[in-house]
Amino acid sequence: MKLELKDDTTRRERELNIFRKMKKLVYYLRLFPAVFWLLVFLVLPLSVMFIYSFWTMVRFELIPTWTLKNYLDIFVKAEGLYIKLLFKSIGMATAVTLGAIALAYPAAYYISTRGGKYKYVLLNLIMTPYLVSWVITIFGWRMVIGYTGLVNTVLMSVGLISEPMRLWGNWMTVIFVLIVSWTGWLVLPIFVSLEKIDRTLLEAGEDLGASPLENFRKITLPLSMPGLLIATFFVLIPTFGEFVAPLLAGGTSGAMIGTAIEATFKRMHNWPFGSAMAFLLVAIALITSLVLIRKAGLRTLMESL
Amino acid sequence: MLVIYLPLLTLLAFSFNNSLSVGFPWRGFTLRWWEKFFSDPVALTAVKNSFVAAVAVAVVATLMGLGVAFPLVRRGFRGQNVLLSSLLVPIAVPSLLIGISLFSLLRVQLGLELSLFTLAIGHILVALPYSSLVLMARLIGFDRALEEAAQDLGATGFTTFRKITFPIIRPGIFVSMFLAFIISLEDAVIANFLVGSDLTVPMYVFGQLRRWEGLNTAMALSSFMAVIALAVACLFLIRAIGPRLRRPSKD
Repeated sequence: MKLELKDDTTRRERELNIFRKMKKLVYYLRLFPAVFWLLVFLVLPLSVMFIYSFWTMVRFELIPTWTLKNYLDIFVKAEGLYIKLLFKSIGMATAVTLGAIALAYPAAYYISTRGGKYKYVLLNLIMTPYLVSWVITIFGWRMVIGYTGLVNTVLMSVGLISEPMRLWGNWMTVIFVLIVSWTGWLVLPIFVSLEKIDRTLLEAGEDLGASPLENFRKITLPLSMPGLLIATFFVLIPTFGEFVAPLLAGGTSGAMIGTAIEATFKRMHNWPFGSAMAFLLVAIALITSLVLIRKAGLRTLMESL
Repeated sequence: MLVIYLPLLTLLAFSFNNSLSVGFPWRGFTLRWWEKFFSDPVALTAVKNSFVAAVAVAVVATLMGLGVAFPLVRRGFRGQNVLLSSLLVPIAVPSLLIGISLFSLLRVQLGLELSLFTLAIGHILVALPYSSLVLMARLIGFDRALEEAAQDLGATGFTTFRKITFPIIRPGIFVSMFLAFIISLEDAVIANFLVGSDLTVPMYVFGQLRRWEGLNTAMALSSFMAVIALAVACLFLIRAIGPRLRRPSKD
Protein backbone atom coordinates (compact mmCIF):
# COMPACT_ATOMS: atom_id res chain seq x y z
CA MET A 1 0.00 0.00 0.00
CA LYS A 2 2.70 2.44 1.00
CA LEU A 3 4.63 1.85 -2.21
CA GLU A 4 1.55 2.67 -4.33
CA LEU A 5 1.10 6.04 -2.65
CA LYS A 6 4.71 6.94 -3.32
CA ASP A 7 4.32 6.24 -7.06
CA ASP A 8 1.21 8.40 -7.23
CA THR A 9 2.83 11.42 -5.66
CA THR A 10 5.90 11.27 -7.84
CA ARG A 11 3.83 11.14 -11.01
CA ARG A 12 1.72 14.05 -9.92
CA GLU A 13 4.83 15.95 -8.97
CA ARG A 14 6.25 15.31 -12.40
CA GLU A 15 3.07 16.46 -14.08
CA LEU A 16 3.03 19.57 -11.96
CA ASN A 17 6.61 20.30 -12.85
CA ILE A 18 5.94 20.04 -16.55
CA PHE A 19 2.88 22.22 -16.13
CA ARG A 20 4.91 24.80 -14.25
CA LYS A 21 7.61 24.79 -16.87
CA MET A 22 5.07 25.32 -19.59
CA LYS A 23 3.52 28.20 -17.71
CA LYS A 24 6.95 29.71 -17.34
CA LEU A 25 7.59 29.34 -21.05
CA VAL A 26 4.29 30.95 -21.93
CA TYR A 27 5.11 33.79 -19.61
CA TYR A 28 8.47 34.45 -21.16
CA LEU A 29 6.96 34.12 -24.60
CA ARG A 30 5.87 37.74 -24.40
CA LEU A 31 9.48 38.75 -24.67
CA PHE A 32 9.67 37.08 -28.03
CA PRO A 33 8.41 39.86 -30.35
CA ALA A 34 10.78 42.47 -29.00
CA VAL A 35 13.74 40.12 -28.88
CA PHE A 36 13.04 38.95 -32.41
CA TRP A 37 12.77 42.52 -33.59
CA LEU A 38 16.00 43.55 -31.94
CA LEU A 39 17.90 40.54 -33.20
CA VAL A 40 16.70 40.58 -36.78
CA PHE A 41 16.41 44.29 -37.38
CA LEU A 42 19.10 45.70 -35.17
CA VAL A 43 21.82 43.22 -34.40
CA LEU A 44 21.86 41.45 -37.73
CA PRO A 45 21.93 44.46 -40.08
CA LEU A 46 24.41 46.33 -37.94
CA SER A 47 26.71 43.33 -37.80
CA VAL A 48 26.57 43.08 -41.56
CA MET A 49 27.40 46.75 -41.92
CA PHE A 50 30.24 46.27 -39.50
CA ILE A 51 31.64 43.49 -41.61
CA TYR A 52 31.26 45.67 -44.69
CA SER A 53 33.45 48.28 -43.11
CA PHE A 54 36.33 45.88 -43.52
CA TRP A 55 35.68 45.14 -47.16
CA THR A 56 36.12 47.23 -50.30
CA MET A 57 33.70 48.49 -52.86
CA VAL A 58 34.69 48.32 -56.49
CA ARG A 59 32.22 49.55 -59.07
CA PHE A 60 29.09 48.82 -57.05
CA GLU A 61 30.32 45.40 -55.98
CA LEU A 62 31.39 44.55 -52.50
CA ILE A 63 34.58 42.56 -52.26
CA PRO A 64 35.53 40.78 -49.02
CA THR A 65 39.04 42.10 -48.80
CA TRP A 66 39.23 42.19 -45.00
CA THR A 67 41.27 45.29 -44.58
CA LEU A 68 41.61 48.13 -42.11
CA LYS A 69 42.05 50.58 -44.94
CA ASN A 70 38.63 52.15 -44.53
CA TYR A 71 39.26 53.06 -40.95
CA LEU A 72 42.68 54.43 -41.73
CA ASP A 73 41.21 56.37 -44.63
CA ILE A 74 39.11 58.36 -42.23
CA PHE A 75 42.26 59.92 -40.93
CA VAL A 76 44.05 60.15 -44.21
CA LYS A 77 41.56 60.83 -46.98
CA ALA A 78 41.22 64.29 -48.49
CA GLU A 79 43.98 65.69 -46.32
CA GLY A 80 42.35 64.76 -43.08
CA LEU A 81 39.07 66.38 -44.04
CA TYR A 82 37.01 63.63 -42.52
CA ILE A 83 38.78 63.52 -39.22
CA LYS A 84 38.53 67.30 -38.96
CA LEU A 85 34.84 67.02 -39.72
CA LEU A 86 34.49 64.43 -37.00
CA PHE A 87 36.07 66.63 -34.39
CA LYS A 88 34.06 69.58 -35.56
CA SER A 89 30.86 67.59 -35.25
CA ILE A 90 31.71 66.46 -31.74
CA GLY A 91 32.48 70.03 -30.85
CA MET A 92 29.22 71.26 -32.29
CA ALA A 93 27.29 68.52 -30.56
CA THR A 94 28.85 69.49 -27.25
CA ALA A 95 28.00 73.13 -27.82
CA VAL A 96 24.43 72.17 -28.60
CA THR A 97 24.18 70.02 -25.49
CA LEU A 98 25.55 72.72 -23.21
CA GLY A 99 23.30 75.34 -24.75
CA ALA A 100 20.20 73.21 -24.56
CA ILE A 101 20.84 72.26 -20.94
CA ALA A 102 21.52 75.87 -20.05
CA LEU A 103 18.10 76.78 -21.39
CA ALA A 104 16.22 73.73 -20.25
CA TYR A 105 17.37 73.74 -16.64
CA PRO A 106 15.93 77.14 -15.69
CA ALA A 107 12.71 76.30 -17.49
CA ALA A 108 12.39 72.97 -15.69
CA TYR A 109 13.27 74.64 -12.40
CA TYR A 110 10.64 77.27 -12.92
CA ILE A 111 7.94 74.77 -13.75
CA SER A 112 8.89 72.57 -10.86
CA THR A 113 8.92 75.30 -8.25
CA ARG A 114 6.35 77.80 -9.47
CA GLY A 115 4.19 75.64 -11.69
CA GLY A 116 1.57 74.81 -9.15
CA LYS A 117 -1.39 73.19 -10.79
CA TYR A 118 -0.26 74.20 -14.24
CA LYS A 119 2.84 72.04 -14.08
CA TYR A 120 1.69 69.32 -16.43
CA VAL A 121 -0.06 71.72 -18.74
CA LEU A 122 3.15 73.62 -19.24
CA LEU A 123 5.03 70.40 -19.86
CA ASN A 124 2.48 69.32 -22.43
CA LEU A 125 2.70 72.68 -24.13
CA ILE A 126 6.42 72.31 -24.38
CA MET A 127 6.16 68.85 -25.91
CA THR A 128 3.43 69.53 -28.49
CA PRO A 129 5.58 71.31 -31.08
CA TYR A 130 7.39 68.01 -31.52
CA LEU A 131 4.37 66.65 -33.34
CA VAL A 132 5.65 68.64 -36.25
CA SER A 133 8.41 66.94 -38.13
CA TRP A 134 12.04 67.97 -37.74
CA VAL A 135 12.25 68.95 -41.39
CA ILE A 136 9.21 71.17 -41.12
CA THR A 137 10.55 72.83 -38.01
CA ILE A 138 13.78 73.70 -39.77
CA PHE A 139 11.73 75.00 -42.67
CA GLY A 140 9.88 77.22 -40.23
CA TRP A 141 13.08 78.54 -38.73
CA ARG A 142 14.26 79.44 -42.17
CA MET A 143 11.25 81.69 -42.40
CA VAL A 144 12.17 83.33 -39.16
CA ILE A 145 15.90 83.93 -39.44
CA GLY A 146 16.41 83.54 -43.15
CA TYR A 147 17.38 86.26 -45.58
CA THR A 148 13.77 87.21 -46.26
CA GLY A 149 12.57 86.09 -42.90
CA LEU A 150 10.71 87.56 -39.98
CA VAL A 151 13.67 88.78 -37.94
CA ASN A 152 15.35 90.54 -40.80
CA THR A 153 12.18 92.19 -42.02
CA VAL A 154 11.21 93.42 -38.59
CA LEU A 155 14.66 94.80 -37.88
CA MET A 156 14.79 96.51 -41.24
CA SER A 157 11.39 98.12 -40.93
CA VAL A 158 12.33 99.45 -37.51
CA GLY A 159 15.51 100.77 -39.03
CA LEU A 160 18.08 98.97 -36.92
CA ILE A 161 19.78 97.46 -39.94
CA SER A 162 19.90 98.62 -43.53
CA GLU A 163 20.42 95.27 -45.13
CA PRO A 164 19.18 91.82 -44.23
CA MET A 165 21.66 89.85 -42.16
CA ARG A 166 22.88 86.56 -43.46
CA LEU A 167 21.88 84.50 -40.49
CA TRP A 168 21.11 81.35 -42.39
CA GLY A 169 23.40 78.81 -43.96
CA ASN A 170 26.36 78.52 -41.65
CA TRP A 171 27.48 76.51 -38.66
CA MET A 172 26.03 78.95 -36.18
CA THR A 173 22.62 78.46 -37.71
CA VAL A 174 22.91 74.74 -37.21
CA ILE A 175 23.92 75.08 -33.58
CA PHE A 176 21.19 77.63 -32.94
CA VAL A 177 18.44 75.56 -34.50
CA LEU A 178 19.59 72.42 -32.75
CA ILE A 179 19.78 74.09 -29.36
CA VAL A 180 16.31 75.55 -29.64
CA SER A 181 14.90 72.28 -30.81
CA TRP A 182 16.48 70.08 -28.17
CA THR A 183 15.72 72.35 -25.22
CA GLY A 184 12.06 71.33 -25.10
CA TRP A 185 12.94 67.65 -25.14
CA LEU A 186 15.32 68.12 -22.23
CA VAL A 187 12.96 69.94 -19.95
CA LEU A 188 11.19 66.70 -19.16
CA PRO A 189 14.09 64.66 -17.67
CA ILE A 190 15.40 67.62 -15.75
CA PHE A 191 11.91 68.36 -14.45
CA VAL A 192 11.48 64.79 -13.26
CA SER A 193 14.69 64.76 -11.30
CA LEU A 194 13.95 68.15 -9.79
CA GLU A 195 10.53 66.96 -8.70
CA LYS A 196 12.04 64.02 -6.92
CA ILE A 197 14.09 66.17 -4.61
CA ASP A 198 12.78 66.00 -1.10
CA ARG A 199 11.61 69.50 -0.21
CA THR A 200 12.26 68.89 3.45
CA LEU A 201 15.96 68.79 2.65
CA LEU A 202 15.70 72.32 1.37
CA GLU A 203 13.78 73.38 4.44
CA ALA A 204 16.48 71.84 6.61
CA GLY A 205 19.06 73.83 4.71
CA GLU A 206 17.14 77.02 5.36
CA ASP A 207 16.81 76.20 9.01
CA LEU A 208 20.54 75.78 9.23
CA GLY A 209 20.98 79.29 7.88
CA ALA A 210 21.73 78.77 4.20
CA SER A 211 20.80 81.43 1.67
CA PRO A 212 18.62 80.38 -1.29
CA LEU A 213 21.67 80.43 -3.53
CA GLU A 214 23.60 78.17 -1.18
CA ASN A 215 20.64 75.89 -0.91
CA PHE A 216 20.57 75.57 -4.64
CA ARG A 217 24.27 75.03 -5.01
CA LYS A 218 24.63 72.49 -2.26
CA ILE A 219 21.36 70.61 -2.33
CA THR A 220 19.31 71.07 -5.48
CA LEU A 221 22.11 71.05 -8.01
CA PRO A 222 23.92 67.90 -6.83
CA LEU A 223 20.66 66.01 -6.40
CA SER A 224 19.50 66.91 -9.89
CA MET A 225 22.78 65.74 -11.38
CA PRO A 226 21.54 62.29 -12.46
CA GLY A 227 18.73 63.91 -14.43
CA LEU A 228 21.22 66.29 -15.99
CA LEU A 229 23.48 63.46 -17.04
CA ILE A 230 20.60 61.59 -18.60
CA ALA A 231 19.56 64.76 -20.42
CA THR A 232 23.10 65.03 -21.73
CA PHE A 233 22.87 61.45 -22.97
CA PHE A 234 19.63 62.15 -24.81
CA VAL A 235 21.03 65.15 -26.62
CA LEU A 236 24.70 64.53 -27.15
CA ILE A 237 24.59 61.09 -28.72
CA PRO A 238 21.92 61.68 -31.33
CA THR A 239 23.43 65.02 -32.24
CA PHE A 240 26.70 63.31 -33.13
CA GLY A 241 25.00 61.74 -36.07
CA GLU A 242 22.69 64.61 -36.96
CA PHE A 243 22.51 65.27 -40.64
CA VAL A 244 19.16 66.89 -41.43
CA ALA A 245 19.99 70.17 -39.75
CA PRO A 246 23.44 70.59 -41.31
CA LEU A 247 22.07 69.59 -44.68
CA LEU A 248 19.20 72.04 -44.73
CA ALA A 249 20.56 74.86 -42.65
CA GLY A 250 24.30 74.54 -42.66
CA GLY A 251 25.44 75.64 -46.05
CA THR A 252 29.13 75.08 -46.55
CA SER A 253 30.50 75.89 -43.16
CA GLY A 254 27.83 74.00 -41.30
CA ALA A 255 28.48 70.49 -42.51
CA MET A 256 28.79 67.74 -39.97
CA ILE A 257 30.02 64.21 -40.09
CA GLY A 258 26.45 63.06 -40.61
CA THR A 259 26.24 64.83 -43.96
CA ALA A 260 29.52 63.26 -45.02
CA ILE A 261 28.35 59.78 -44.11
CA GLU A 262 25.08 60.25 -45.96
CA ALA A 263 26.87 61.55 -49.02
CA THR A 264 29.29 58.64 -48.95
CA PHE A 265 26.46 56.18 -48.99
CA LYS A 266 24.08 57.84 -51.35
CA ARG A 267 26.33 59.51 -53.82
CA MET A 268 29.74 58.00 -53.66
CA HIS A 269 28.38 54.52 -53.18
CA ASN A 270 31.40 53.73 -51.08
CA TRP A 271 29.64 51.62 -48.50
CA PRO A 272 32.71 50.32 -46.67
CA PHE A 273 34.09 53.78 -46.09
CA GLY A 274 30.77 55.21 -44.99
CA SER A 275 30.26 52.24 -42.75
CA ALA A 276 33.69 52.70 -41.19
CA MET A 277 32.93 56.32 -40.40
CA ALA A 278 29.56 55.43 -38.98
CA PHE A 279 30.96 52.78 -36.70
CA LEU A 280 33.75 55.01 -35.51
CA LEU A 281 31.02 57.44 -34.55
CA VAL A 282 29.09 54.66 -32.85
CA ALA A 283 32.17 53.66 -30.88
CA ILE A 284 32.59 57.20 -29.64
CA ALA A 285 28.89 57.37 -28.86
CA LEU A 286 28.90 54.09 -26.96
CA ILE A 287 31.89 55.04 -24.84
CA THR A 288 30.27 58.36 -23.99
CA SER A 289 26.97 56.66 -23.22
CA LEU A 290 28.59 54.17 -20.90
CA VAL A 291 30.31 56.91 -18.99
CA LEU A 292 27.14 58.93 -18.67
CA ILE A 293 24.82 56.09 -17.75
CA ARG A 294 27.25 54.61 -15.27
CA LYS A 295 27.33 57.92 -13.46
CA ALA A 296 23.63 58.54 -13.53
CA GLY A 297 22.25 55.08 -13.03
CA LEU A 298 19.73 53.19 -15.06
CA ARG A 299 16.84 54.00 -12.79
CA THR A 300 17.12 57.68 -13.46
CA LEU A 301 17.08 56.91 -17.15
CA MET A 302 13.75 55.17 -16.83
CA GLU A 303 12.28 57.72 -14.51
CA SER A 304 13.03 60.59 -16.80
CA LEU A 305 10.83 59.12 -19.47
CA MET B 1 10.30 79.05 -23.92
CA LEU B 2 7.48 79.80 -26.24
CA VAL B 3 10.08 80.65 -28.85
CA ILE B 4 9.59 77.09 -30.01
CA TYR B 5 6.23 78.07 -31.39
CA LEU B 6 7.73 80.85 -33.46
CA PRO B 7 8.67 78.83 -36.54
CA LEU B 8 5.30 77.13 -36.56
CA LEU B 9 3.37 80.36 -36.37
CA THR B 10 5.53 81.96 -39.00
CA LEU B 11 5.00 79.05 -41.35
CA LEU B 12 1.30 79.33 -40.86
CA ALA B 13 1.28 83.03 -41.52
CA PHE B 14 3.31 82.72 -44.69
CA SER B 15 1.22 79.97 -46.13
CA PHE B 16 -1.32 82.67 -46.83
CA ASN B 17 1.19 84.84 -48.61
CA ASN B 18 0.28 85.49 -52.21
CA SER B 19 3.80 85.28 -53.49
CA LEU B 20 5.85 82.74 -55.34
CA SER B 21 8.91 83.20 -53.24
CA VAL B 22 9.19 82.02 -49.74
CA GLY B 23 9.09 84.78 -47.18
CA PHE B 24 8.74 88.50 -47.35
CA PRO B 25 7.72 90.68 -49.01
CA TRP B 26 4.09 90.14 -48.37
CA ARG B 27 2.02 90.22 -51.47
CA GLY B 28 -1.47 89.80 -50.30
CA PHE B 29 -3.58 87.25 -48.58
CA THR B 30 -4.45 84.16 -50.53
CA LEU B 31 -5.80 80.70 -50.05
CA ARG B 32 -4.22 79.62 -53.30
CA TRP B 33 -1.53 77.41 -51.78
CA TRP B 34 -3.95 75.76 -49.45
CA GLU B 35 -6.18 74.87 -52.38
CA LYS B 36 -3.19 73.47 -54.16
CA PHE B 37 -2.30 71.41 -51.15
CA PHE B 38 -5.73 69.93 -50.64
CA SER B 39 -6.02 69.00 -54.27
CA ASP B 40 -2.58 67.51 -54.55
CA PRO B 41 -2.95 63.74 -54.32
CA VAL B 42 0.71 63.16 -53.60
CA ALA B 43 0.75 65.50 -50.65
CA LEU B 44 -2.50 64.16 -49.24
CA THR B 45 -1.31 60.59 -49.56
CA ALA B 46 1.83 61.58 -47.73
CA VAL B 47 -0.23 62.86 -44.84
CA LYS B 48 -2.33 59.74 -44.73
CA ASN B 49 0.75 57.55 -44.90
CA SER B 50 2.45 59.39 -42.09
CA PHE B 51 -0.49 59.03 -39.77
CA VAL B 52 -1.20 55.43 -40.62
CA ALA B 53 2.43 54.49 -40.05
CA ALA B 54 2.62 56.49 -36.84
CA VAL B 55 -0.45 54.80 -35.37
CA ALA B 56 0.80 51.35 -36.32
CA VAL B 57 4.20 52.06 -34.84
CA ALA B 58 2.67 53.41 -31.65
CA VAL B 59 0.55 50.32 -31.11
CA VAL B 60 3.16 47.72 -32.00
CA ALA B 61 5.99 49.40 -30.11
CA THR B 62 3.83 49.72 -27.01
CA LEU B 63 2.75 46.09 -27.16
CA MET B 64 6.33 44.94 -27.53
CA GLY B 65 7.38 47.29 -24.80
CA LEU B 66 4.79 45.75 -22.50
CA GLY B 67 6.15 42.35 -23.39
CA VAL B 68 9.62 43.24 -22.22
CA ALA B 69 8.71 45.54 -19.38
CA PHE B 70 6.90 42.97 -17.26
CA PRO B 71 9.54 40.26 -17.31
CA LEU B 72 12.40 42.72 -16.90
CA VAL B 73 10.92 44.45 -13.93
CA ARG B 74 9.18 41.61 -12.19
CA ARG B 75 11.07 38.44 -12.87
CA GLY B 76 14.74 38.39 -13.48
CA PHE B 77 16.03 36.01 -16.07
CA ARG B 78 19.31 35.07 -17.59
CA GLY B 79 20.49 37.60 -20.09
CA GLN B 80 18.29 40.36 -18.81
CA ASN B 81 21.18 42.80 -18.77
CA VAL B 82 21.98 41.94 -22.35
CA LEU B 83 18.39 42.66 -23.31
CA LEU B 84 18.39 45.93 -21.43
CA SER B 85 21.60 47.08 -23.09
CA SER B 86 20.37 46.06 -26.52
CA LEU B 87 17.26 48.09 -25.90
CA LEU B 88 19.39 51.17 -25.40
CA VAL B 89 21.43 50.63 -28.54
CA PRO B 90 18.94 52.23 -30.98
CA ILE B 91 19.24 55.44 -29.01
CA ALA B 92 23.02 55.47 -29.10
CA VAL B 93 23.35 54.57 -32.76
CA PRO B 94 22.65 57.41 -35.18
CA SER B 95 19.42 56.91 -37.12
CA LEU B 96 21.54 57.29 -40.18
CA LEU B 97 23.28 54.02 -39.55
CA ILE B 98 20.10 52.24 -38.57
CA GLY B 99 18.45 53.46 -41.75
CA ILE B 100 21.30 52.34 -43.92
CA SER B 101 21.70 48.96 -42.31
CA LEU B 102 18.01 48.20 -42.58
CA PHE B 103 18.06 49.34 -46.16
CA SER B 104 20.87 46.97 -46.81
CA LEU B 105 19.10 44.08 -45.15
CA LEU B 106 15.62 44.60 -46.48
CA ARG B 107 16.22 45.93 -49.94
CA VAL B 108 19.57 44.73 -50.99
CA GLN B 109 19.71 41.34 -49.37
CA LEU B 110 16.12 40.30 -49.02
CA GLY B 111 15.01 42.12 -52.12
CA LEU B 112 11.89 43.52 -50.51
CA GLU B 113 10.11 46.42 -52.09
CA LEU B 114 10.49 49.52 -50.02
CA SER B 115 7.18 50.71 -48.71
CA LEU B 116 5.32 51.96 -45.72
CA PHE B 117 5.76 48.51 -44.25
CA THR B 118 9.56 48.63 -44.34
CA LEU B 119 9.36 52.11 -42.91
CA ALA B 120 7.27 50.87 -40.02
CA ILE B 121 9.88 48.22 -39.27
CA GLY B 122 12.53 50.86 -38.86
CA HIS B 123 10.34 53.17 -36.82
CA ILE B 124 9.25 50.43 -34.46
CA LEU B 125 12.88 49.61 -33.88
CA VAL B 126 13.70 53.17 -32.95
CA ALA B 127 10.60 53.66 -30.83
CA LEU B 128 10.94 50.38 -28.94
CA PRO B 129 13.59 51.56 -26.44
CA TYR B 130 11.53 54.59 -25.51
CA SER B 131 8.35 52.57 -25.10
CA SER B 132 10.05 49.94 -23.02
CA LEU B 133 11.75 52.43 -20.75
CA VAL B 134 8.56 54.35 -20.13
CA LEU B 135 6.62 51.20 -19.29
CA MET B 136 9.37 49.83 -17.09
CA ALA B 137 9.50 53.07 -15.20
CA ARG B 138 5.79 52.83 -14.64
CA LEU B 139 6.05 49.25 -13.42
CA ILE B 140 8.85 49.89 -11.00
CA GLY B 141 6.71 52.17 -8.91
CA PHE B 142 3.90 49.65 -8.90
CA ASP B 143 2.82 48.30 -5.58
CA ARG B 144 2.29 44.58 -6.05
CA ALA B 145 0.42 44.37 -2.80
CA LEU B 146 -2.56 45.79 -4.64
CA GLU B 147 -2.57 42.87 -7.02
CA GLU B 148 -2.15 40.39 -4.21
CA ALA B 149 -5.02 41.99 -2.33
CA ALA B 150 -7.25 41.58 -5.34
CA GLN B 151 -6.33 37.95 -5.68
CA ASP B 152 -6.95 37.36 -2.00
CA LEU B 153 -10.42 38.72 -2.59
CA GLY B 154 -10.95 36.08 -5.22
CA ALA B 155 -10.17 37.72 -8.54
CA THR B 156 -8.82 35.57 -11.32
CA GLY B 157 -5.63 36.47 -13.12
CA PHE B 158 -7.43 38.19 -15.97
CA THR B 159 -9.76 40.20 -13.75
CA THR B 160 -6.85 41.36 -11.66
CA PHE B 161 -5.18 42.60 -14.78
CA ARG B 162 -8.27 44.35 -16.02
CA LYS B 163 -9.24 46.12 -12.86
CA ILE B 164 -5.99 46.74 -11.07
CA THR B 165 -2.87 46.39 -13.18
CA PHE B 166 -4.20 47.98 -16.33
CA PRO B 167 -5.61 51.19 -14.82
CA ILE B 168 -2.40 51.79 -12.97
CA ILE B 169 -0.14 51.35 -15.96
CA ARG B 170 -2.58 53.09 -18.28
CA PRO B 171 -0.83 56.48 -18.11
CA GLY B 172 2.39 54.72 -19.01
CA ILE B 173 0.70 53.11 -21.99
CA PHE B 174 -0.57 56.47 -23.17
CA VAL B 175 2.83 58.08 -22.81
CA SER B 176 4.46 55.19 -24.63
CA MET B 177 1.99 55.43 -27.50
CA PHE B 178 2.28 59.20 -27.68
CA LEU B 179 6.06 59.03 -27.70
CA ALA B 180 6.19 56.32 -30.38
CA PHE B 181 3.61 58.23 -32.42
CA ILE B 182 5.71 61.38 -32.36
CA ILE B 183 8.91 59.52 -33.13
CA SER B 184 7.37 57.92 -36.17
CA LEU B 185 5.51 60.99 -37.43
CA GLU B 186 8.48 63.28 -37.31
CA ASP B 187 11.28 61.06 -38.51
CA ALA B 188 12.89 62.01 -41.79
CA VAL B 189 16.17 60.16 -41.63
CA ILE B 190 14.97 56.57 -41.55
CA ALA B 191 12.20 57.48 -43.94
CA ASN B 192 14.86 58.73 -46.32
CA PHE B 193 16.23 55.21 -46.60
CA LEU B 194 13.29 52.95 -46.04
CA VAL B 195 10.31 54.44 -47.76
CA GLY B 196 10.01 53.67 -51.40
CA SER B 197 7.36 55.24 -53.52
CA ASP B 198 5.08 55.74 -50.55
CA LEU B 199 5.85 59.11 -49.12
CA THR B 200 5.55 60.45 -45.66
CA VAL B 201 5.15 64.09 -44.76
CA PRO B 202 8.76 64.70 -43.70
CA MET B 203 10.03 63.00 -46.84
CA TYR B 204 7.76 65.07 -49.03
CA VAL B 205 8.86 68.35 -47.50
CA PHE B 206 12.48 67.22 -47.49
CA GLY B 207 12.27 66.42 -51.17
CA GLN B 208 10.67 69.73 -52.01
CA LEU B 209 13.19 71.68 -50.02
CA ARG B 210 16.02 70.07 -51.89
CA ARG B 211 14.53 70.65 -55.25
CA TRP B 212 12.96 74.09 -55.13
CA GLU B 213 9.82 73.31 -57.04
CA GLY B 214 6.29 73.54 -55.76
CA LEU B 215 7.77 74.90 -52.61
CA ASN B 216 4.57 76.57 -51.71
CA THR B 217 2.61 73.36 -51.59
CA ALA B 218 5.15 72.13 -49.11
CA MET B 219 4.51 75.31 -47.19
CA ALA B 220 0.82 74.64 -46.97
CA LEU B 221 1.51 71.06 -45.95
CA SER B 222 3.92 72.13 -43.29
CA SER B 223 1.51 74.68 -42.03
CA PHE B 224 -1.13 72.00 -41.92
CA MET B 225 1.02 69.93 -39.60
CA ALA B 226 1.80 73.04 -37.63
CA VAL B 227 -1.90 73.74 -37.29
CA ILE B 228 -2.47 70.28 -35.91
CA ALA B 229 0.25 70.82 -33.36
CA LEU B 230 -1.15 74.22 -32.45
CA ALA B 231 -4.64 72.77 -32.16
CA VAL B 232 -3.40 70.13 -29.74
CA ALA B 233 -1.62 72.81 -27.77
CA CYS B 234 -4.79 74.89 -27.60
CA LEU B 235 -6.67 71.84 -26.46
CA PHE B 236 -4.33 71.49 -23.54
CA LEU B 237 -4.65 75.13 -22.70
CA ILE B 238 -8.42 75.01 -22.76
CA ARG B 239 -8.52 71.96 -20.57
CA ALA B 240 -6.39 73.68 -18.03
CA ILE B 241 -7.84 77.14 -18.01
CA GLY B 242 -11.39 76.14 -18.86
CA PRO B 243 -12.50 75.14 -15.37
CA ARG B 244 -11.31 78.48 -14.11
CA LEU B 245 -13.50 80.32 -16.56
CA ARG B 246 -16.52 78.32 -15.61
CA ARG B 247 -16.32 79.09 -11.94
CA PRO B 248 -17.68 82.68 -11.96
CA SER B 249 -20.98 81.46 -13.39
CA LYS B 250 -21.33 79.05 -10.52
CA ASP B 251 -21.41 81.89 -8.04
